[in-house]
Amino acid sequence: MLGKLIFQNLQKFGFPYPLDKSICSGWAKDIPRGGETIIYTSCMYQTASLSDIFSKLTPYAEKLSAFSAFAKLIRPSKEEIERAYTVLRNISSMLRNRGIQFGYLYEEEPYSGAILLELGYLDEFAEYAKGVRDFLKQRGIKRVITVDPHTHNALTRYNEFINFDIEVVSYFELLGEIKPRIHGDIVVHDSCLYSRFLGKREVYRGLLNSAGLKLVEDELVTGKDTSYCCGGPIKPVNRELSEKIAKIRVEQLRKLSDKIVVVCPMCYANLSKYHKVLDFAEVVE
Amino acid sequence: MSEWDIAVERTINNNVPRVHKILSQYPYIQDLARELRKAKLEVINNLEYFTQQALESVKKIGGNAYYVSSLYEAREIVGKIVGKDKIVVMGKSMVAYELGLREYLKELGNQVWETDLGEFLIQLANEPPSHIIAPAIHMTKERVVKLLRERLGVEVSDNATHEELVAIVRKFLREKFVNADVGITGANAVAADTGSVILVENEGNIRMSTVLPNIHIAVAGVEKIVPTFYHALIEATVQAAYAGLYPPTYINLTSGPSSTGDIEMKRVSPAHGPKEFHLVLVDNGRVEVSKDDVIKEALLCIRCGRCHLHCPVYRALGVEWGRPPFTGPMGAMWSYVVHKDTRPATLCTHSGNCKEVCPMGINIPKVLEKIKWLDNDKEHNKA
Ligand code: SF4
Repeated sequence: MLGKLIFQNLQKFGFPYPLDKSICSGWAKDIPRGGETIIYTSCMYQTASLSDIFSKLTPYAEKLSAFSAFAKLIRPSKEEIERAYTVLRNISSMLRNRGIQFGYLYEEEPYSGAILLELGYLDEFAEYAKGVRDFLKQRGIKRVITVDPHTHNALTRYNEFINFDIEVVSYFELLGEIKPRIHGDIVVHDSCLYSRFLGKREVYRGLLNSAGLKLVEDELVTGKDTSYCCGGPIKPVNRELSEKIAKIRVEQLRKLSDKIVVVCPMCYANLSKYHKVLDFAEVVE
Repeated sequence: MSEWDIAVERTINNNVPRVHKILSQYPYIQDLARELRKAKLEVINNLEYFTQQALESVKKIGGNAYYVSSLYEAREIVGKIVGKDKIVVMGKSMVAYELGLREYLKELGNQVWETDLGEFLIQLANEPPSHIIAPAIHMTKERVVKLLRERLGVEVSDNATHEELVAIVRKFLREKFVNADVGITGANAVAADTGSVILVENEGNIRMSTVLPNIHIAVAGVEKIVPTFYHALIEATVQAAYAGLYPPTYINLTSGPSSTGDIEMKRVSPAHGPKEFHLVLVDNGRVEVSKDDVIKEALLCIRCGRCHLHCPVYRALGVEWGRPPFTGPMGAMWSYVVHKDTRPATLCTHSGNCKEVCPMGINIPKVLEKIKWLDNDKEHNKA
């Protein structure tokens, strides 16, 4: 039933759950609209903090016929929105400082469909992907710069289901030299998707290292095959399990350093409940 | 921290670095694992042919071999061989657990004893196993002290050492081995070309279960068949290494009932070991799965248990994840293979650690994704 609900919401709100989509585009002011290359947020950073509220409501969603009325009411807090916007602005200014030109689709930006894929709604994902592809094609988009692993993973898997010939690149790969915004030792909580599915583990680690930040490593905590999930992907299915995993993960990471750095908005949202966490784009410039 | 949290953390700290070390110290193991994957895949793609060959090979060497499609058939055959009022010693076997053999044979009026230390503790506690190679990892030492005291009625001091606890069980089981009529084991691998069964162990309980009683019955899923004797030896090597127990203390090879060629070099049977050898090859859902392009990879699993200790969901949920003995990432796949239960797969967070560490290169998240899709499909059909 969860899949049906998500699919309906995608049609109604353009998002997996009821949402006022103006939240998504508020961070961008001076980025040109559209273009051949776009930055693609999939509204992940902007809404990551809401996954918690919606995982609480999901069990009742079907009974609440007026669920959609909540769309206007449920918003991230002012601080949460501000933080997400800061992250996105930092990412976009890092890219621009390196001479990379890109546009943005603002309120028209579609969601990637990642949640359908991750929950195993493969037919729905394929159907949804077709719509996203057609939309991007109509806008003449040839290259997409992603800012989070879930979107990156979903887009790079489109080809398994449909024909998709738009280039997908992660913003990490476009950054050359970067400077640190903070000092001292940090511990990186890897994104499962970047680290083990998308081969980007060394990309962001390399960037952090070259910025002069010292990454504290431990074979059993930050190794490629030992670093755990934040629990985020399982939240819509089993909230308790998701929280237990997050708690265990934070305990492990804190033993290495107080400064936990993540590369994914879902990791940020899930781990932040137990410790102050920083995003990659908050620790470098 | 709960008892589970403490126990699993200790296990991870003991085991994970050890496997890393073994793999760097004996680099040939990774080559053998790749070779084994190819050989096992060949069998899975031609399951009928290899099953037939294995059955014939066992018969050629004087053993009895059976192919059963359901767990009921399996129980019936084993039940007939064992009979009643017997003492049965069992070597840890996931298939035996899957078939409910221990309980079934008890119902027939037999005395049945698990002889693997972990499995024995599980039997005493009347609990499901929590890990495929270390079934009692959820029990702390403190808990074992209590358990032995309560169930065996022996004196055990609060601060008994690991060694003392093992000695108590050893003493208790020794008498069972000596008097046992039947030994039942699983199989790490079955060689199709010779009909040999390979078993890896450290305790010595399998040696005794396969040699001391008059009858040895091995039960194995059809996916345990490998093309040749050579591959069976490889499977034992790879399984032990990825389980973190390399070199294994013992590798047992059984080809039919005991025999000797000492009088005029004529091979006759029996000799000192069992008079009878039986191999029961079990389908119970495996054949159907072998036809699914994605899910068939689950059949490559060699039960090393490595994926468990790298999985965040297993760490958090333990034995509650999957249908015992099928827990952990392999269990989320195997709960589907054997029980057609799609639910455990829906709890996978696709951390991908299991895929990184699996010696058989099983893309476990991909298998689970397909099972999740089947679960969702059931939802559609309900709607
Ligand atoms: S799935 Fe792979 S890692 Fe897990 S028990 Fe089986 S062989 Fe070992």
